[in-house]
Amino acid sequence: MSKEEIITRLAQSVIDGEPEDAVELAKQALDEGLDPLVCINQGLTAGINRVGELFASGEYFLPDLIIGGEAMKAALAVLEPALAGDQERQILGRVVLGTVRGDLHEIGKTLVGTMLTANGFLVTDIGIDKPAADFVSAAREANATLIGASALLTTTMPEQQKIVEELKEAGLRDQVRVMIGGAPITQGWADKIGADGYAEDAISAVALAKQLVGVPV
Amino acid sequence: MPIEPIRTTFQIQLLSHEQLNRLQEATLTILEEVGVRFPSQKALAIFADHGALVDHDTQIVRIPRDLVRRAMATVPRYFNLGARDPACDLHLQECVTYFATDGCGVETIDFETGQRRSSVKADVERMARVADYLSSIAFYWPMISAQDFGRAAPLHELDASWNNMGKHIQSETLMGEVPARYGIEMGTVIAGDKDELRRRPLFSVVICTIAPLAQDKEGIEGALLLAEAGIPVGFLAMPTMGTTAPSTFAGALAVGDAEIISATVLMQLAHPGAPVFHSLMEAWADPRSGAYVAYQAKARCRYAQIELAHHWGMPALGGAFGTESVNPGTWQAAADVAMDPILVSLVGTEIVTGLGLNRSYTLLHAESLILDDELYHRARNTLMDLEVDDNTLALDSIRAVGPGGHFMAQEHTRKHMRTMMEMGVTHQLGPDGKYRDPLEVAREKVNWILNNHQPEPLEEAKRAELSRILAAAGRELG
Repeated sequence: MSKEEIITRLAQSVIDGEPEDAVELAKQALDEGLDPLVCINQGLTAGINRVGELFASGEYFLPDLIIGGEAMKAALAVLEPALAGDQERQILGRVVLGTVRGDLHEIGKTLVGTMLTANGFLVTDIGIDKPAADFVSAAREANATLIGASALLTTTMPEQQKIVEELKEAGLRDQVRVMIGGAPITQGWADKIGADGYAEDAISAVALAKQLVGVPV
Repeated sequence: MPIEPIRTTFQIQLLSHEQLNRLQEATLTILEEVGVRFPSQKALAIFADHGALVDHDTQIVRIPRDLVRRAMATVPRYFNLGARDPACDLHLQECVTYFATDGCGVETIDFETGQRRSSVKADVERMARVADYLSSIAFYWPMISAQDFGRAAPLHELDASWNNMGKHIQSETLMGEVPARYGIEMGTVIAGDKDELRRRPLFSVVICTIAPLAQDKEGIEGALLLAEAGIPVGFLAMPTMGTTAPSTFAGALAVGDAEIISATVLMQLAHPGAPVFHSLMEAWADPRSGAYVAYQAKARCRYAQIELAHHWGMPALGGAFGTESVNPGTWQAAADVAMDPILVSLVGTEIVTGLGLNRSYTLLHAESLILDDELYHRARNTLMDLEVDDNTLALDSIRAVGPGGHFMAQEHTRKHMRTMMEMGVTHQLGPDGKYRDPLEVAREKVNWILNNHQPEPLEEAKRAELSRILAAAGRELG
């Protein structure tokens, strides 16, 4: 297989949502001496961009996006460790994502994480049932510019407010934007607690994240 | 106004006996092989004591089918839901369906200003008074969240309800041991003592499971405390097809049912005979956004799961109304929900939520409760037995008129025309002699109820005691 063909098939594995193929092709690319950064940019990124186009045109649905994103993630796990010291994958921003304390709902937050990853963000998912302090410390450690906090219960919504407050106390509020989501969340609540934005679903979460880091949507 | 439940002798069967057995078998297989996550040491200990397979690291419990069967044998098929006004006590039974308001909305269109804003306790109070008046409402889900009271909000929602209505209250937010303990204390104050509260539980609680196949620690531990006090608890699974459940109807039912049954088994192991109800409200994931879709054109009947509950020997809480339409009075607002009250009653559902919210159960327009009340009464009238007798056949009138005449001069017509048509919100005369806009009529009715309906107030001593409990809860919960 030619180098061009490997890169084309790498892109196709993402478009088709075939994580195992993506991993095999990534390994093959390294064995053949291909530049991992080229494989990422011209293979995986090209593939995920095509997935995005197909989604935008109505041909692809959510599972196509998720599985495409997983194929990309699996191949990245092979290619990224092989990058040279001065090489770095281009990312749109670093995001810390989690579900607030007292709340065990996971799916919405995970969906947002997958969508953000597929769209070029580096996501640190701290999990569920996490106190405000964990969001703040994770943002500091990851040098994140965005926090995404999910709450699915009216009784756990106040924890989102604590994140905004604790960011202020930690002196990080100017560096870190906060976006919130979850079934009971509204723009009114986001305004009330001083969050930077609210997204109703995973698609609008990506648009919001791009807007908050100053990338054209 | 007395409660008017839907009583009907008509019945439909959506699932065959074989299909019900197959669904039940799927639940037993899931419980035995896949398991359900219970992030609660108390729950894990109870399961372990009774021979379930407990993995303390993953907090996943696998329940052998004979243990499920044994535990499920103690669930009562019917029980009573008491009310502050004993005339409003509900006796769950065959062929009678009791409806509630919808609940736990987070926003309201302010009735005075028309501005959209977050809900507060005063909204719960106002809507309790409106719901108390309506004969369609047999019990009350606090319609919106008392967001001005933080973590003590669920207790303030109970307080707002008991102070403004005589009907049974069903909380959907009372989660956790501490709030549950305060809730039981408040209920005991109203009932007089704990035995009376157990005999006529003045409130019940709905606990949401977490799809797929997980429970909430606070929900489960609060439910154990409530069950011990004799307060009925229901487990509500809301599997969303395509995201938190398979994208097939039967698969979603199996996942949701396994969540409900696992929690019910726990209640029965801890407190055999505890009143528990089954509730499964599936939805669809929007294929493009993952957003929650409650109604869609290709939807299968929302009520097959009621038959599944009955197959287990449990009463069911069904979900009706709750349009996705943001605004009341639209085509969609009625199209989404109009079949609901008929179908949910035809499958024999014991209790049903809920009238009055828009935008998939999140937004309150007070007028919507009146419009849903009208849809409810249309359904109720549809399902009433037809009267076929000498009087209603009116053969004497038909003979008298004969071919080609008219019935307007007949005494029989004059008498029955007054009652043959329900003059609902669509047939209220305006000053111009024409029927008025139903939305305007609905708004006027809300206003009238708020100005004229005053439920029997709670005794001063009980009100004071509730205030004391709320103050203590506020200090403890923050």
